[in-house]
Amino acid sequence: MNSKLDNCANCPAHNLSNLKKLGIDMSSFDYVVALAGNPNTGKSTVFNYLTGLKQHTGNWPGKTVTRAEGGFEYNGKKFKLVDLPGTYSLLSTSVDEEVARDFILFGQPDVTLIVIDATRVERNLNLVLQILEITDRVVICLNLMDEARRNGIEVDARTLSKELGVPVVPTSARQGEGMNELLKYIYDVATGAYICKPYRIKSKSKELNEAIERLSKEIQEEFPDLPNTRWVALRLLEGDQTIIDAIRSGELGNLQRQEVLQIEES
Amino acid sequence: MNTTITANKKEIIIAEANKLRWELGENLHDILMENIYENATEIAKKTVKYPDTKIAFSFDRQLDKILTSKYFGFPIMFLMLGIVFWLTIQGANYPSSLLANLLVDTIHPLLKNFAGSINLPWWLTGVLIDGAYLAMAWVVSVMLPPMAIFFPLYTLLEDFGYLPRVAFNMDPLYKKVGAHGRQALTMAMGFGCNAAGVIATRVIDSPRERLIAIITNNFSLCNGRWPTQILIATVFIGSAVPAYLAGIVSAAAVVFIAVLGITFSLLVSWFLSRTLLKGEASAFSLELPPYRPPRILQTLYTSLIDRTIFVLWRAIVFAIPAGMVIWLVANITIDGVSVANHFIQWVNPVAFIFGLNGVILLAYIIAIPANEIVIPTILMLTVANLGIQGVGAGSGVMFELESANDVAAILQAGGWTLLTGINLMLFSLLHNPCSTTIYTIYKETKSVKWTLVSTFLPILMGLTVTFFVTQIWRLLGN
Amino acid sequence: MNEPLTLLLIGVLFLLLMFILLQPTKGIIPTIRRNKSANQKALLEDALKFIYNCEYNNISCTLNSIAGNLNISADAAAGIVAKLQNMGMIQVDKEYIALTSEGRSYALRVIRVHRLWEKFLADETSMTEKEWHKAAEEIEHKLSDEDANKLAAQIGNPVFDPHGDPIPTAKGEIPEKVGKHLTEMKPGEMATIIHIEDEPHTIYSQIVAEGLYPGMQIRMNEVNDKRVKFEANGDECILSPLIAKSITIGPIKLEKPVEGKLKPLSSLKVGEKGIVLGIAKSLRGQQRRRLMDLGIVPGTEIEAELESVTGDPVAYRVRGTTIALRKNQADKIYLVKEEERN
Repeated sequence: MNSKLDNCANCPAHNLSNLKKLGIDMSSFDYVVALAGNPNTGKSTVFNYLTGLKQHTGNWPGKTVTRAEGGFEYNGKKFKLVDLPGTYSLLSTSVDEEVARDFILFGQPDVTLIVIDATRVERNLNLVLQILEITDRVVICLNLMDEARRNGIEVDARTLSKELGVPVVPTSARQGEGMNELLKYIYDVATGAYICKPYRIKSKSKELNEAIERLSKEIQEEFPDLPNTRWVALRLLEGDQTIIDAIRSGELGNLQRQEVLQIEES
Repeated sequence: MNTTITANKKEIIIAEANKLRWELGENLHDILMENIYENATEIAKKTVKYPDTKIAFSFDRQLDKILTSKYFGFPIMFLMLGIVFWLTIQGANYPSSLLANLLVDTIHPLLKNFAGSINLPWWLTGVLIDGAYLAMAWVVSVMLPPMAIFFPLYTLLEDFGYLPRVAFNMDPLYKKVGAHGRQALTMAMGFGCNAAGVIATRVIDSPRERLIAIITNNFSLCNGRWPTQILIATVFIGSAVPAYLAGIVSAAAVVFIAVLGITFSLLVSWFLSRTLLKGEASAFSLELPPYRPPRILQTLYTSLIDRTIFVLWRAIVFAIPAGMVIWLVANITIDGVSVANHFIQWVNPVAFIFGLNGVILLAYIIAIPANEIVIPTILMLTVANLGIQGVGAGSGVMFELESANDVAAILQAGGWTLLTGINLMLFSLLHNPCSTTIYTIYKETKSVKWTLVSTFLPILMGLTVTFFVTQIWRLLGN
Repeated sequence: MNEPLTLLLIGVLFLLLMFILLQPTKGIIPTIRRNKSANQKALLEDALKFIYNCEYNNISCTLNSIAGNLNISADAAAGIVAKLQNMGMIQVDKEYIALTSEGRSYALRVIRVHRLWEKFLADETSMTEKEWHKAAEEIEHKLSDEDANKLAAQIGNPVFDPHGDPIPTAKGEIPEKVGKHLTEMKPGEMATIIHIEDEPHTIYSQIVAEGLYPGMQIRMNEVNDKRVKFEANGDECILSPLIAKSITIGPIKLEKPVEGKLKPLSSLKVGEKGIVLGIAKSLRGQQRRRLMDLGIVPGTEIEAELESVTGDPVAYRVRGTTIALRKNQADKIYLVKEEERN
């Protein structure tokens, strides 16, 4: 599988000239991509680059307050890009985090693109690890590589990708560096050509592990198709009303693992 | 039958979760966060290599040391702000008069001629051209140039990363009044435009402190009010002292009003955080992002689109109907007297108690869309009320005069004294925000309650202050 | 009428009047509002709550103790007990008063609202610890079950209130009492504070003033009829047994023993490093979550990097980022200094 991907990286189909920025024209689209990330990681720059829109990108945490949407076309497929509020975490009760959390869980995006800051990998991993518990279709954009280089920080993207079990693409969105590869991986994960094996949070707390295990087993019995029972169990332990309601109404049962229907035509 | 069983199963899961939560205790969230970060540290250790010495961000550290140092921190800050304001005020003069020449002095007569040539009824010409168009033209020509200079400068400092350091340095002052250090920035933005200042409060991520910043932003003397302050100070305060002191004293008076505004914003913040806003959540954190070289072109583009055009558009939308109203109140007559004059006569005795007059109160009501058109409206109303001939451009047509002496002559004819001038300066600082700002406050807070508070609190304060100033003035004067 | 002096006087009087009427908590209008709530329903509910607490703590409940707790005469208490009996909320067997299952679920509903509200005030508002209980005492008689459920959902369905008491579920479930009184500890024993009783108010404020809070690790040094002496987070603390009885303790949960001396983060000087050991419980709600989201959790390396012009706030280097914290926050984060490197 992997060798096939590597070959394909050189084939003419995967070229930046295949990117068509659709701005806000999203009449019809094949895939939904959610864009998540900490504040101040260049998330808006990535969004603007891909869609050709010009949202303000300030050097401030928490710039994107409202959810913005845009579109782009790559390799003949139309993608809808949904810019989620920038958050440090998804476990709190703040509105921003609720919006992001619920979109990734219930909106079932085909790919969740997480933009992380190469100079602050450790802090950014907090959000990454949480998202990996919710969805296994993730591409990580290791942004601000230029800033990291300038400050002598080295990030081993290959090992990071191996550790996390999802593609990690080093980029400098401001300069457009690495965007081609990023698009390729978004495409591959969306079409199912790349299967992620996401990292799962390991806990040393015996009590917590037992509690999660017990709950997820019961949830599994009730909703056998649910892909992320561990996350649901965790949210139940945190008293998330949206999850409680979704269990009561049975809505959780609709969140099945989406099989990839479109088999590569080529 | 089957459904009840599954429903029960669902409830069992929820009840089970509850039981587990009691067993796990209240530290669950803490334990979880600790776990996640433990994992993150482990992964980061394998993948990230920091340079041996402190080369990482050494430039940032050096710069931070200077910008936050005991000796240079505040002087640099005041210098920067001073430069920004100087550039804005000086830079805006020329384009402003150019725009006024074009929109007010050239296009306005052309439009009137055109209306005359197609025999438009006089009242339609009045409402559309003298009312709506003129108000819009005025707002554009006074508002656009300073904003087009101020916002990009502000955005450049913001993108570079300097502004978070200002918030960092200013925080103790704001902490004392229960606010967030970043309020210093939204206040600075408010000096450019209150509506933009209110939008800028988005960077305050703590709900209570954000509300405080929104409600008090109006106390920053905005671009639209500076010209009023300068004109009135020159006309009334400057003329009350010997000629060689006139310039300095009137400038000092304007600065005093601006500083008074800052004082009020801090006092009101303090008051709000202890009373009305006690019940709102508060969470302070301030990240100092690394410095980044700003991209000038991108900044120019985004600050023009996101801030200048955005705010200007809102102002125009409100200015057009207000222009119509201004023209109509001066031209609709009841018993041969215009509505405006009726209102002025009726309000005069009340206004007298506050050391103001009916013209001022009416002007502040109908010129609500923008503080920029308050002076033109006052002049128009005064002339119309007194029936002075030969000045202005006709009934209901706002105008401005080149020379301060002419303004003084008209206003003194309208019964203005030094006290009226001082009170107008105070009232111009302490009155409701313009409608653009009110609308923006509603958009940002999505709360009628807080919008009303931010609208009426300053009026109440303004009336209280002018009332006491007036009474004490008259008491001492007699 | 337009005499300045007259107007001035009227103005001053008007301001004074507004102040007297509207002054928060002490003003006339807030007082009237408050007094309205002290009605018969509130008394009945308070009595039920009291009887429930007696049962929960295995104390026998008499007419006199009800009268004493509600601050009413014995006759009035008798009237209330009779009324509750008529409503089928309690059973009276000679001296002994017990709740019926109906009365118990009613009491639990009131307690649920009370504790939810305290949790809400603690986490989502800027009210101080001493004000929560009072505010909750009022709201518990007013909030409907539906509103209580909405509130609970909004703040993440908490299961403990800020004092460490369990919050009953909407169905009236509550876990059994655990832990023992502070006075039952032996010298040398270590434990965690799991609960501080918030009534009576005078005792509670004394405990708060000592800086004690649920979750604190303590080590008992001396316990007798006259005084209880123990160490809490490294500081010595002496209480009278009467006050100590308001504190409930449980077994210690810490996995690794603490080495070195605990210091607040604010004690770091620029350039000094430390390892975070914990965040004080008194830093709650959004504040606490924000800090942890930013990576300030036990085990985190933290370095004081930059002082602002006036020395407060201070910017700290945490996991590759620079975060400014105010001194009152940094006081509540505990760490051990990393001195080996010097």
